[in-house]
Amino acid sequence: MDCRDIRETISVCVDGEASPEEAASVREHLASCERCRMLERQMRAVGAGVRQVRGRVPERFREEVFARLESEGALPKRKKVFPAAWRWAAVPLAAAAGLGLFLLTSREAVRTPVPQAPVASRVETTAAIPPVPGPAVRPAVPPVSAQGTTAALSIEDRKMIALLDILEDPAAFDANGDAEGVELLAPGDSADSPNPPRGGRSGA
Amino acid sequence: MLLFREGSREAFEELFSRHHRAVVRFAWRMTGDPSTAEEAAQEIFLRIARAAPTYRPTAKFTTWMYTVARRATLNYLRDTKEDGERVPILSEGEGEDGVYPVQLPGPDDRNPERVVWEAQLTGRFRTALGELPEGYRAAFVLNRGDGLSYGEVAQVLGVTVQAVKTRIFRAREMLLSRLSKDVSA
Repeated sequence: MDCRDIRETISVCVDGEASPEEAASVREHLASCERCRMLERQMRAVGAGVRQVRGRVPERFREEVFARLESEGALPKRKKVFPAAWRWAAVPLAAAAGLGLFLLTSREAVRTPVPQAPVASRVETTAAIPPVPGPAVRPAVPPVSAQGTTAALSIEDRKMIALLDILEDPAAFDANGDAEGVELLAPGDSADSPNPPRGGRSGA
Repeated sequence: MLLFREGSREAFEELFSRHHRAVVRFAWRMTGDPSTAEEAAQEIFLRIARAAPTYRPTAKFTTWMYTVARRATLNYLRDTKEDGERVPILSEGEGEDGVYPVQLPGPDDRNPERVVWEAQLTGRFRTALGELPEGYRAAFVLNRGDGLSYGEVAQVLGVTVQAVKTRIFRAREMLLSRLSKDVSA
């Protein structure tokens, strides 16, 4: 076979695409043709050359491709990321909510006066409150003795204090039943006020 | 690809992980320019994603992928050509045989391995590759660079297997001719 006619078949043979008949004819020709043997080697070498042209994956190539895809809406959104994140976030969120609730109720508890305070200490506390005029208003608390006792209280004062204790303990109020005729006033109310008394029970 | 078509993002991520190197390599070999190759490679994945709704597994995924890749790079090469650079591009079909007569190096030339690789021949090889007509370059790159068979190359390029044989042979002749001139110059 002429060299000119077999060159393409040599190329096909180098690529491993020749039929058995083509491969046999190429082998036969190469055995007797130095020029085509050289050509066959050159063809192999140039085929290997293209694999040396590799380039490299640019930095941030993946990020840029996915960003473009997402901006086009061509990429489905992740399905499991957010539910999983919320599952993990649920624990600290619940803990924070519980702590907040605890702190809130604790502060409310601190603000609420303790009804079972002893009479003497309550008197000490109210001693600083200026007296409010009017017959149905809490009477002016008499000055406490140096020992902080109620020994110097009059009978009327003691009755009033007892009534106040009862007012702060409705159960005791009901049990004693001796608060007849007592009119309750909310702070700021006075007997002269045209408004009716608020809260609590009146003696009527 | 079918999973991606059905809405699986993970499927596309897997597809990307498997093929992005090959896509970048192919774009690099076809364009010969890093920045153009990167743009083309991004465009290839965008086209793959866009084509997912209409994808039909009538051929190997890689064959389809290279078809998309080749069309995308061809667009970039045409854009480059419009910008004034000389990029020989052949139209599709088989009518180009014999257009590029090549004087092959004779037996007195140097050892082929040295001819190809001596004196920083990788760069020269890349230049020579870029000067091939696009149809020849695509056939040669797909077969020798990416390992596609003649039949697969024919599918990608939309030509016959015989046309692929001819294109690859012509590409070899032109590369050897150009490289032997570079070395002897």
